[in-house]
Amino acid sequence: MTVDTAHARSLPAAKPGSALAQQQLQDASATRARRAASAPGTKTTGKILGYAGMILAGLVIAVPIYFVVITSLKLRPEIYSDPITWIPQILAPENYTYVWQTLDFSQYFVNSVIITVTLTLVEVSLGVLSAYAFAFYRFPGSNLLFYLVLGTLMVPNEITIISNYALVAQLGWRDTFTGIIVPLAGVAFGTFLMRNHFLSLPTEIIEAARLDGTGFFRTLFKVVLPMSWPTLMAFILITAVTEWNQYLWPFLISDTGRVAPLQIGLTMLQDNEGLTNWGPVMAGTLLATIPMIVLFLFLQRSMIKGLTAGAVKG
Amino acid sequence: MNITRRSALSLAGLAAATAALSACAGTGSGTASAQQEGNGTLQFWSNHPGSSRDIEQQLIDAWNAANPDTPAELIDGGKNYEELGQKFNAALSGGELPDVIVASDVTWFNFAFTGATTPLNDLWESEGIDTSTYVETLLADYTYDGKNYGVPYSRSTPLMYWYTADLEKAGLPTDGTGPATWQEFAETWAPKLKEATGKPALTVADGSNYLDWYFQGAFWTFGGAYSTEWDLKFTDPKTIEAGTFLQTMVKDGLISVVKDSANEFGIGNACGLLESTGSLGGLKESATGDFITTYLPGPKPGTTTGGAGLAIPAGISDERKKIAVKFIDFITNTENTITFTQATGYMPVRTDAADVPEQAAYMDENPNAATAIRQLNENTKSQDYARVFINGGGQAIGGALDKIVAGQDVETVFTALQEELQATYDRDIKPNL
Repeated sequence: MTVDTAHARSLPAAKPGSALAQQQLQDASATRARRAASAPGTKTTGKILGYAGMILAGLVIAVPIYFVVITSLKLRPEIYSDPITWIPQILAPENYTYVWQTLDFSQYFVNSVIITVTLTLVEVSLGVLSAYAFAFYRFPGSNLLFYLVLGTLMVPNEITIISNYALVAQLGWRDTFTGIIVPLAGVAFGTFLMRNHFLSLPTEIIEAARLDGTGFFRTLFKVVLPMSWPTLMAFILITAVTEWNQYLWPFLISDTGRVAPLQIGLTMLQDNEGLTNWGPVMAGTLLATIPMIVLFLFLQRSMIKGLTAGAVKG
Repeated sequence: MNITRRSALSLAGLAAATAALSACAGTGSGTASAQQEGNGTLQFWSNHPGSSRDIEQQLIDAWNAANPDTPAELIDGGKNYEELGQKFNAALSGGELPDVIVASDVTWFNFAFTGATTPLNDLWESEGIDTSTYVETLLADYTYDGKNYGVPYSRSTPLMYWYTADLEKAGLPTDGTGPATWQEFAETWAPKLKEATGKPALTVADGSNYLDWYFQGAFWTFGGAYSTEWDLKFTDPKTIEAGTFLQTMVKDGLISVVKDSANEFGIGNACGLLESTGSLGGLKESATGDFITTYLPGPKPGTTTGGAGLAIPAGISDERKKIAVKFIDFITNTENTITFTQATGYMPVRTDAADVPEQAAYMDENPNAATAIRQLNENTKSQDYARVFINGGGQAIGGALDKIVAGQDVETVFTALQEELQATYDRDIKPNL
């Protein structure tokens, strides 16, 4: 198992979390509906089934994460012990100190934050602004331009990597934040997502705002965006998680630890030929995942708030 | 279906846009001139084999102190040889080229073959570099068309590791003799160990973790091979016999094939381990008891060598090449190869390393490391072309061995493998030889 796969295993923390949240939401509303409609006898069966489903879904998500957590606290012999132990017999928090000391963790962490924050800001601004223009402003060639943007969505990243690399190297941007950030900043996904969402908004409200004389940015910030929080939050979350987990591009561009993000730092914990001690690898992976979990918990509240704050009332 | 003219036109536009964008990508702007000047600092791209980052930095600091005019810098080239190859390939497409790269046993030939790395013989001559003290077989591994394309750096060989306590329990010799042949292993060693301890006698890594490399020598001892030069030998009856041997051993529970064999052995789940010398350092700390190392079973040569060497890109200026070749000579000189190999468990690449008192003392104190170094002279030969020279050969063989371990018919698997690699050879290599 490489760090990537180890990481991929722990990464779904955010995604299944949202699925779980949604499921809880659905379950809650479903129970409410059932409670209102059905007789008391069927109520308990439904409840039991509902809880069983929830527990099952929870376990599927929680067990791998739990395993990463306990592995990060185990000593090497125990990690590979047969049968596996579910509670570490000897707690080994030194795995975390080891990661911190051997890795120059704070440097990689700061690099990751710089790259992720900048990219998220740029991508979200570009995405929202361009989507706004495509959704509400008619200008010559707007459709053609939109299809062009969509076209870029259909070119896999892997294809453009080599030409981007050549360009960035010629500009002298290797081993710089600029070199890592600029080529990653142009993503059509946000434009596409936000435009489609904007188009689903009731035109009456936009027209009413226009009649009231709100300008370009005022309409965007006071009318359109407040109705788009859930989509926007999802967009921010997806962008942040994607950029946080970037590996191939930063790997190609960074030469030393100076600008390399955490995901690259983690590979230093693995041995090329010989023994890898998985305790520190798991500890590092876990530390690298925490910021994204925090971000998710933070944004999740806004997402749900947005869902319930409807602009048009029945 | 209701296709309006408008939507048809849009679709056409979309397709054209995609095509145009895809076409842009991949061409690059290709200004990689034949004579790239550097920025004055020698760039050494390494994946730090054997967790050697600190040692490499230490060697580079020593170089910088001795050569303040031509300083060197250590660049992270990736987490393994394959990633370093990727990064180098990206640089070849038009980026700034490094001065020195780590090239593994499976990547160096491809670079040499496509002209990405430069032959070193003329540079050695013009810079007056003495290559006579390199271990001959290790240096010869990097020869193509009569020229040398690399210098040995982090070189390893498979070893057998055995827990002393388990050997004693089974009544087997602990003086480092090991099984003389694989037949002896199958008839005496393995059953005794299994009976005495209840554990598999030997564990080895699976096909995605270089089983094809560890087990290569075993094929030779059966009289088979992956190939003889460019002549593929997978369907040779002797090769199939060796494959069947591996399958039977696994089926009988005498050999276990796992993903991370060094850890499997380290925690005591097997009596023996077939692994690279690169694991020596790590196992010394993590093994659950005392262990000895032995040669791989014969008849000799019973195994091969592996690991990586250093190479110089062809696209840099002559001035840079001259410094690079001196840098390579420095980092692999007798004193530095001793420092590097004692820290990692790799093998010294200079013959006169053994004459240095410090190294002689080290070998006395570390009989396990000494086994590896002695085996190098007695029990190894260069790898088969099919594994190291055919693009993707090692991975393909590893995949086939995995299928055999899983119980598929050996002859069928090897026939398919032979066809696959033959096709790659006919397409990529034969026309360019």
